[in-house]
Amino acid sequence: MINTLYTATGCTRCKIVKRFMEERDIPYTEKDMKAEGKEEFQQFYKANRKYIYRGENGIEFPVFTNGEAIYQGIGPAVAYLHFNGKLDEFFSIGVLHKEWVDGIYVSHGNPEYAGEFIEVLRFLKNNNLKLQVDTNGKNNHILRQILDEGLADIVIMNVLGPEELYSKILGEDINIDEVKKSIETAAKFPEVHFQTTVVPVVRQEGDSPEISYLAPEEVAEAAKLIEEVTESKKNPYLIKLFKTKEAKDKRLKAVGPLSAANLMPYRSKARAYQVFTEVEKA
Amino acid sequence: MTYPSVYPTGATIYNPEKCWSGYTIFQARELGALLIDMNGGEVNLWKGLHGFPNQLLPGGYVLGHTGLRNNAFGMQDQLDLVQVDWEGNIVWKFNQYEYIEDPGEEAQWMARQHHDYQREGNPVGYYVPGMEPVVDGGNTLLLCHKNVKNPDITDKNLLDDVIIEVDREGNIVWEWSCNEHFNEFEFSEAAKNILARDPNMRTAGGGMGDWMHINCMSKLGPNKWYDAGDERFHPENIAWCARESNILAIISKKTGEIVWKVGPDYDTSKELRELGWIIGPHHFHMIPRGLPGEGNMLIFDNGGWAGYGLPNPCSSKGRMNVLRDYSRVLEFDPKTLKIVWQYTPIEAGLVHPSDSNRFYSPFISGAQRLPNGNTLITEGSGGRLIEVTAEHEIVWEYISPYWGDKFKINMVYRAYRVPYEWVPQVDKPVETPIEPKDVAKFRMPGAAPLGPKKQTEVPGVKPYQGSTALCVAADDELDNLDK
Repeated sequence: MINTLYTATGCTRCKIVKRFMEERDIPYTEKDMKAEGKEEFQQFYKANRKYIYRGENGIEFPVFTNGEAIYQGIGPAVAYLHFNGKLDEFFSIGVLHKEWVDGIYVSHGNPEYAGEFIEVLRFLKNNNLKLQVDTNGKNNHILRQILDEGLADIVIMNVLGPEELYSKILGEDINIDEVKKSIETAAKFPEVHFQTTVVPVVRQEGDSPEISYLAPEEVAEAAKLIEEVTESKKNPYLIKLFKTKEAKDKRLKAVGPLSAANLMPYRSKARAYQVFTEVEKA
Repeated sequence: MTYPSVYPTGATIYNPEKCWSGYTIFQARELGALLIDMNGGEVNLWKGLHGFPNQLLPGGYVLGHTGLRNNAFGMQDQLDLVQVDWEGNIVWKFNQYEYIEDPGEEAQWMARQHHDYQREGNPVGYYVPGMEPVVDGGNTLLLCHKNVKNPDITDKNLLDDVIIEVDREGNIVWEWSCNEHFNEFEFSEAAKNILARDPNMRTAGGGMGDWMHINCMSKLGPNKWYDAGDERFHPENIAWCARESNILAIISKKTGEIVWKVGPDYDTSKELRELGWIIGPHHFHMIPRGLPGEGNMLIFDNGGWAGYGLPNPCSSKGRMNVLRDYSRVLEFDPKTLKIVWQYTPIEAGLVHPSDSNRFYSPFISGAQRLPNGNTLITEGSGGRLIEVTAEHEIVWEYISPYWGDKFKINMVYRAYRVPYEWVPQVDKPVETPIEPKDVAKFRMPGAAPLGPKKQTEVPGVKPYQGSTALCVAADDELDNLDK
């Protein structure tokens, strides 16, 4: 396998990944897309564009490939280089810039690899990066360790829905007490943002499943859950739109999308429990 | 703006035969919501009820506010919008737009409403035959404030204008934020430059840029333009104007986009040049169907100081870069921009421009079209309300007698005329004509009467002439120069 690291001139994150590889004698070839590697990156991108995320501000670098897999961004790249593919589900593409790193999902990875995950976070933190982590309440013990070690600066706590629907929305059984502990932990970070996505829920399974979006009252219950655990109505709380095309369950893709205007009743209901509730703009 | 130190207040002119008589509601400075009859009789004072503005609803209900946010932290943010009955009972209230925790103040929900609101059933908040505002239900549009950051405009804290629609239960069902449409306003590069450096910074709350200062908001209502297929004038679309940017606009209720606009510059087309530079405007709205002039836009073009653009001798940095020291009330066609009717210092009978500042309110003010074609004008800064006919005759005049203690001015933000029938609690008042005084002969007790005790003839003196050789060109001379 030939390791190639696509970088951009002046990219601090690229330098950190390069140093990581050099310190561990990991062989690689660097292609600077703003210099001599421009044409090669363009060809690489053209051939792999479905695997490379291009956001509003362009492509996040570095992009690492060993010829088989592609890892974009400092988090996914370092996690792969350090622990092969064990941590793949903990990391994803980020959208933040400069010293901020996001795309770190505490709840998505295998908790057996918590130690390795924490080690990667330590590495990033020790390189003077600021971390934003996401959680949906699962793997509270990992979130707790992140808090205790001061590894993250911002936590995004996705409260998936009201207690009675939590496991259904998550797609697996979860003890609501763990979710509550995560809410409690999240509230102790330097900065926390609670949010709930108005997702479609399969209310009744079957050949003709009954599917409907979370109701405003159900989102209000999620807001109430946050209030009860944090003993505060004053948490930042965002109600988000469900992106139909990102649904893993094909049945949910068939549900028509909500508009930003549809979220207004949700905000009204949720504000009874979280007074700073805002809604995502389209 | 030239006032003697002594002059009458209250009703000073009333011609019942030419007036569209009714009650007038306005916010008396630091006193409350005051309902007066045509003779200035004070029919009901809702004491201490704030009004930005006050509106009267059928049945003797009044809309207003229970208070204002501490000026140290907010800019004109009203705590709420309340509907109060004839006896002062609050029968409806909205305040749940933003939860505010100001230092040293009780944390509370606030509407942060300012300048305008509209109750469903009536597009503009004043009397329109067949379009009565809903009294015991219906949604309400409110113009509110919100603090935002928008790096496309400036890195400073912005005081943004938002329009929300709330239902009877207080749920916000629609929201529009001005800053999200910055790129639709077509500011010049010079304007963007000064906006970035100084978006009209005010001191409240540690500093916030009151960058647009939208000061009115109303639905278009049914109109001939939409009936003819012009979607820009959909009855649900909303008209507003912005004092600081000199922009008049109509937004789509459906998409939020700006679908019609004049300003911020008025020198970019022949039509705009003929309309003239609108400065610091107020109360821009479409005259509703059923009133004379329906479909035209009515506005109080204040003059004063406003705008963003290139620096000039009157504006060293480019903020408030256009000036004019008199006001105009304009009625114009929204498609051709042709002025259909106007009341300016010229129609007021003043020598223009030498004496034009006698019709001048550099802030607040408004204009209401009445069913008989008259127009009720609030010349706000001097607390003067006048009703003028289509031929520009003043048939009613009232000067507010209420000066504030904390703010020593008798300003009236905006007055509305309503029919007698909207106040069933009292009998229709007696209408007593008030003949205009001959000011030349009007004397205070103790003052000498008009006229010399001795008139002395001087042989060889020449007759007096007109104004063409005055220190400044005026009237006819200006017309000739323009030709």
